[in-house]
Amino acid sequence: MVVALETKGLEKSFGSNRVLKGISLEFRSGEVTALLGANGAGKSTFLGCISGAEAPSSGQILIHGEEHSGSSPRESIEAGIGMIYQHFQLISSLSIADNVFLGSEVRTVLGATDRRAQERETLSLLLPLGLTLNPAATVGSLSVGQQQVVEIVRALRRDPKVLILDEPTAALSHSEVSALLELVSMLARTRDIAVIYVSHILSEIVHVADRAIVLRDGVVYEDRRRGEFEISDLVDFISPNKRLPSVRDTRDASAEIALGLSSFSGSASGPVDLGVREGEIIGVFGLLGSGRTNLVETLAGVRPTHAGTARVGGTVLNARTPRDAAARGIVLVPADRKLQALFPDMTAVDNVVLPHMRKLGKFGIRSRRSERAAFDTIADALALHPREPDQAGGAFSGGNAQKLMIGRWTNPASDAKVLLFDEPTQGVDVGAREDIYAFVRAFVSEPGRCAIFTTSDYEEAVSLADRIVVLHEGEVQAIIDSSASEAELMSLAFGEDTTLSTQ
Amino acid sequence: MSTKTAHTPTAPSTTPRKSVLLRFRQAMDLQLVILVIATVLLMGGFTAASPMFFTADNLLNIANQNASTFIVAAAAGMLLMAGYVDMSVGSVMALAGVCAAFASIEYGMIAGIVCAVLVGTLVGTLNGVLIGQIGMSPIVVTLGVLAAARGLAQLLSPGSLYGLPVDLIGMGSGVFLGIPILVWIAGVICAIFWFVSARMPAGKHTLAVGANPRAAFLTGIPVKSFVMVLYIVVGISVGIAAIMQVARLGSAPSGTLGLGFEVAVLTAVLLGGVPFTGGRGSVIGVLIGVWLIAVLGNGLTLLNVPTEISGIVTGVVLVLAAASSLSGFQRRRRRPRRVQLSARTAAVRVSK
Repeated sequence: MVVALETKGLEKSFGSNRVLKGISLEFRSGEVTALLGANGAGKSTFLGCISGAEAPSSGQILIHGEEHSGSSPRESIEAGIGMIYQHFQLISSLSIADNVFLGSEVRTVLGATDRRAQERETLSLLLPLGLTLNPAATVGSLSVGQQQVVEIVRALRRDPKVLILDEPTAALSHSEVSALLELVSMLARTRDIAVIYVSHILSEIVHVADRAIVLRDGVVYEDRRRGEFEISDLVDFISPNKRLPSVRDTRDASAEIALGLSSFSGSASGPVDLGVREGEIIGVFGLLGSGRTNLVETLAGVRPTHAGTARVGGTVLNARTPRDAAARGIVLVPADRKLQALFPDMTAVDNVVLPHMRKLGKFGIRSRRSERAAFDTIADALALHPREPDQAGGAFSGGNAQKLMIGRWTNPASDAKVLLFDEPTQGVDVGAREDIYAFVRAFVSEPGRCAIFTTSDYEEAVSLADRIVVLHEGEVQAIIDSSASEAELMSLAFGEDTTLSTQ
Repeated sequence: MSTKTAHTPTAPSTTPRKSVLLRFRQAMDLQLVILVIATVLLMGGFTAASPMFFTADNLLNIANQNASTFIVAAAAGMLLMAGYVDMSVGSVMALAGVCAAFASIEYGMIAGIVCAVLVGTLVGTLNGVLIGQIGMSPIVVTLGVLAAARGLAQLLSPGSLYGLPVDLIGMGSGVFLGIPILVWIAGVICAIFWFVSARMPAGKHTLAVGANPRAAFLTGIPVKSFVMVLYIVVGISVGIAAIMQVARLGSAPSGTLGLGFEVAVLTAVLLGGVPFTGGRGSVIGVLIGVWLIAVLGNGLTLLNVPTEISGIVTGVVLVLAAASSLSGFQRRRRRPRRVQLSARTAAVRVSK
């Protein structure tokens, strides 16, 4: 098999921080190689060097045997590297065809863009991949899964020899994940492309990868072919001291109701009738578009309540804004932390204490000491790494950025009672995931507290939640125990079976 | 998405013929529609109020007086679509105008034209390198150039200049086929800008850079060079505008040439639908914006409204423009309708 991509002694340092310490790897055409590692292990930096977004400090990159010394994405694309980034790089105000052809437009004799030809070609590229969409549609109107396919189409159009997908399923629903995996394998085989696939979702890796490479601390730690590793092996390789997500024990059924919902509806979710007890963790499970986010956002005051009531500790909640909700102790950690929550230029401490500065301060003046103390409490509870209070928020990777966001709403000054979580571990590595789960369990063990999280990950739902609310197209299909099987949950999420409710 | 057989269909018949009205509605922002309606109403109002307004003479006069603004606004509009601003255009016009005047007095009209364009290009390159390549703040840099260029212009020519060559002045006041030469020049240049922005890849690239510069970079668009080129283009257009102004005025007053020009240009660009953060907008919108403000000024003058009131009115118009740019009026996101395919491609399942 042909070696499509080879790196020799690839190194990259940011200032004095050595991130890549000499990576020498070969990637062959027709194979799907999974690239794994904890946050900070160097995966994104490695991919950045290959794709031209970063320039390596030293080392060589060879594409089909020829040395590639490009230092810009454009040159890498022309050399045959197709990269699909973790955070979508589509322009949402432009059409599908525009995006697919951005940078490689089809032109008429006069030099104008030939829109018709582009749209026709886009259509013919989309169809074999199963998407029958109008190529003139704006990308912003597509679902996340559809956008993902558009990204792939865009990369494929340039006829790449190497296709790299950086956490492509982080924002996808279950069915979209399966479809993507099939697509990826098919592409590798039929088009003779070397596919490199980065993901934290280990079940996917075992399913689709011909080979798994684990990076740790900037070097290649393990390199196994299919059949030589299982999920538990991968967990060990990535962060040796962590166990698999543990399963919950059942909670005390006689505790007080911390949050009561009766016929509670948001603009695209509900009605929900549910009594959440103190110390309980509820998982809201559903496919993309099922109304999960809508529900928790409505509870948190981000969206107006459509109907019904919610009661916190007995009194009716009337939350028109997030501020109202927070005043009653309801806090929301949103799904897209980059877009919705993290302030990349502010320090970690500031990010954590921002909503509470007045409370932590005295007479309207900020108290740096109390702020620092609040930060320390949270950094300890969540095992934040690197434990750097003054580092810019944008420099924290995946799992640690998420920990900052959690810390913002659960530090001692916030007085949170109901912790709402939209996709708590999206894009977070195994080690940090376990830290976050442990934290949530510790959080609800205090009196008067409970937690609700949304997820489309079956494993997460059963290991963290006591009970699971399954939504399908906004409607509650069932509220079931976390001992449910994957098949049961999935069929409920697809709206197929409604006889399993065990309230 | 189930795995379909790898069956690449032959070019399917594309989307069914849409009615002209539907396509028009889909293509236009509501904001642009409001702009056009406002312009039409305004012109209607002035026509009713003054018999002199809707005459060929007057309308061509409006176009003639604002020819420079049309050109620079089109260029500045594209720059702002990419998310960048140039506050120096007025002062650079003065500098280019003064240099061009000197050159033309000594060496004739052609020398004057070349000189104006050259000065504009040089300053544009300076802006482009500092802002595009090095990454300095656009507002800070161009404000600095605004101050420096005006000072330089006044240094070179403390008083006004006279003795411009006859053919230059002839160009400034000449008429060809009933339309002033300056209007022809503006027309051709604006048409080119429109074509590049609406029909060529570069137009989409400016929107991409304005909407998401990081994504644009990762797509392979050389963002830094691209922004630099945009500034150079603005510089060139300022140079052209400068020589046109000088030709029309018959002089190059260093203190007042182009004074406040950047405000007029920016107002027109914003009115025309380009948000300050970029990523949206069109050259057509900008040109209509220029026309609207020009008509407003002209109409109020014809009605003998004092200039102070005229200023207030223009300000109010800008605020209303801001209101119309609220998200409720944006172009509706085109929904991804399922495509109807012809019988040849019946193998692919079509669903609504």
